Amino acid sequence: MSPAVPADGAGAIGRARVLVVDDETQILRALRVILRDAGFEALPADSGEEALDVAAVQRPDAAIVDLVLPDLDGVEVCRRLREWSEMPIIVLSAVGEEDAKVRALAAGADDYVTKPFGPRELIARLQAVLRRSSDPPGDVVIRADGLELDLAARMVRRDGADVHLTPTEFDLLRVLARNRGRLITSRELLQTVWGAGYTEDTQVLRAHVANLRRKIEPEDGPRYIKTDPGVGYRFSA
Amino acid sequence: MTGLFGGRGLGLGRPPLWVGLICAALAVALATAAIYPLKAVAPPVALSVVYLPAVLLISAYWGLVLGLLASLASAAAFNFFHIPPVGRFTITDARNWVALGAFILVAAVVSTIAELARSRAVEAERRRGEADLAASLARELLRGANTRTALGTTARGMSEALHIPSAAIELGAVDGMSRLALPLRNADGQQIATLLVSRNLPADTVERLRGQVVPALEALVAIALRRDAIQAEAVETEGLRRSDDLKTALLRSVSHDLRTPVTAIVTAGHALAARSLTDDERRELSAAVVEQGGRLAALIDKLLDLSRLQSGRAESQPEWISIEEVLLAAREALPVPAAELRLAVGEDVPPVRADAAQLQQAFSNLLENAWRYSNGRPVSVVARRAGGHVVVRIVDQGPGIPRPEQERIFEPFYRGLQADNGWKGSGLGLAIAKGFVEANGGTISVDSLPGQGSSFVVELPISQLQEATVA
Repeated sequence: MSPAVPADGAGAIGRARVLVVDDETQILRALRVILRDAGFEALPADSGEEALDVAAVQRPDAAIVDLVLPDLDGVEVCRRLREWSEMPIIVLSAVGEEDAKVRALAAGADDYVTKPFGPRELIARLQAVLRRSSDPPGDVVIRADGLELDLAARMVRRDGADVHLTPTEFDLLRVLARNRGRLITSRELLQTVWGAGYTEDTQVLRAHVANLRRKIEPEDGPRYIKTDPGVGYRFSA
Repeated sequence: MTGLFGGRGLGLGRPPLWVGLICAALAVALATAAIYPLKAVAPPVALSVVYLPAVLLISAYWGLVLGLLASLASAAAFNFFHIPPVGRFTITDARNWVALGAFILVAAVVSTIAELARSRAVEAERRRGEADLAASLARELLRGANTRTALGTTARGMSEALHIPSAAIELGAVDGMSRLALPLRNADGQQIATLLVSRNLPADTVERLRGQVVPALEALVAIALRRDAIQAEAVETEGLRRSDDLKTALLRSVSHDLRTPVTAIVTAGHALAARSLTDDERRELSAAVVEQGGRLAALIDKLLDLSRLQSGRAESQPEWISIEEVLLAAREALPVPAAELRLAVGEDVPPVRADAAQLQQAFSNLLENAWRYSNGRPVSVVARRAGGHVVVRIVDQGPGIPRPEQERIFEPFYRGLQADNGWKGSGLGLAIAKGFVEANGGTISVDSLPGQGSSFVVELPISQLQEATVA
């Protein structure tokens, strides 16, 4: 979509630099090779404090943060990075760390990858979040794979045909599409679209997402709105 | 409170008859005397009322018969002392006959009413006593956490209240032997307990026990037993929940420990396929695969050891072994310079009968733990004989273990603080060491001063057979 980050990670401004935080040096080393091969430059850090230092000095374009670190909690690293930076953050988590995953997303992480992960999946997620961060912020029309959202006119077209959405459905789609590639927790969606008093009403959210999908998704399965069971939704066209 | 019955017990009788006779005589005499001064202000005929309180008192306490007797005695005394001609039982004036007749009638009525009131009071007292008995039985039986002990206290309280020499309540059907056994049954007619009392009790007491005490006890014991069953269920549920919590913690811990080397191996494998790989990187990555594979294998071995120990399948195969050889082998199994693990085995340490492989694994885990936390400072391992035991003491100069943690470090998956050098174990080594030491009849304990180091102590028994051959 965006010319800033082509598939191999090398942008017009050079290779995107990715902060990689993991306390296992052997994982760090392997990730450095994998990222380099995909066109990124890795900035390794083996502790939370070091990660914050590297981020402040080198200003990476994105960060990959392991949730289990010897000093600071990975969630805390996300929170501290978010205090001054909008860079996309992907957290590495393990099964059984569901709580930490949701807390990391609430603290500002954009997405997560479960260990042990395939590098292809990690690279795809990284490219998706980088694409979002390079979207021009003021765009009035969002286009994605045959879907067109006119934010000013509150109009939605799929393959050129008008789709009628209720105001709530439109708001939901807008929040998801404006955060393309980012995993948004159910709680955050409910709070943004419905308001602070509705953060526990996941049934309501599920019903509206189902309606929205019926109207915009193709018959053969969701193409735009992907579910992350128990965590939230992401717009990933 | 006057005991379980709250009153005069099962007797519920009046005060003794002889007391009643004396009281009646005294009361009549008092009334007779009291009339003398009153004659100055009222005609003697009207003063017969002075006897009525006496009659009332006697009837109220000793019943109708003595009450009527007191009435007649009063009439006689009044006639003799106060109705002219005084000093004789003859009555000359017809009016006095009428007065005396009226007095006897009134006294009889008063006696009857008093007797009625008395028997009502006695009945009320008896009912209250029964309610009190039931309430105290309930309190005794249901208050205690343990029904078996509560039955003892209840029986004691009951025998005191009923003034019977002894009473016992046993769960289930029990043979009374020399005692009288009264069965206690639940609603289904099944005997749940037995009330045992002396065979020499008066018949009315036994009747009372059967009629009132047994039904109350039956209901209460049934409730207490039902409560016990529910409590046992609750305890079991709580146990299951805890074991579930433990399993969750275990799964989480294992999943993280297994996943980290797997992730390292998988990522290294992918990285090895990178187009831009240099020779140095290839060597590093392949070393990482080998190292992490070894780490995974070690963890799997520990998990298998632990699961064998926990399922009770870690049977030891004892043979005569030298502690020194076991300690040396345990040290060799570790990637540790010999200078950092100093062994000293006393000359008087005899061979022990134990499973060599299990003890070596146990000591290897203990030595590794001590060495990891010592961060380069030497660990001393001293074996000596103390009484009927061989005592091996492993002393490190690590950070020590805070007291609250000392009890828990032998639990599987419990991890203490990270070592100074960042090392953090699997949380299994000490649990396995404890399991293997205990499987060989030994004990393991820890003594630690935070900030100064820890000392793990293993005691292994010297077998009697060995003593005999040495002597």
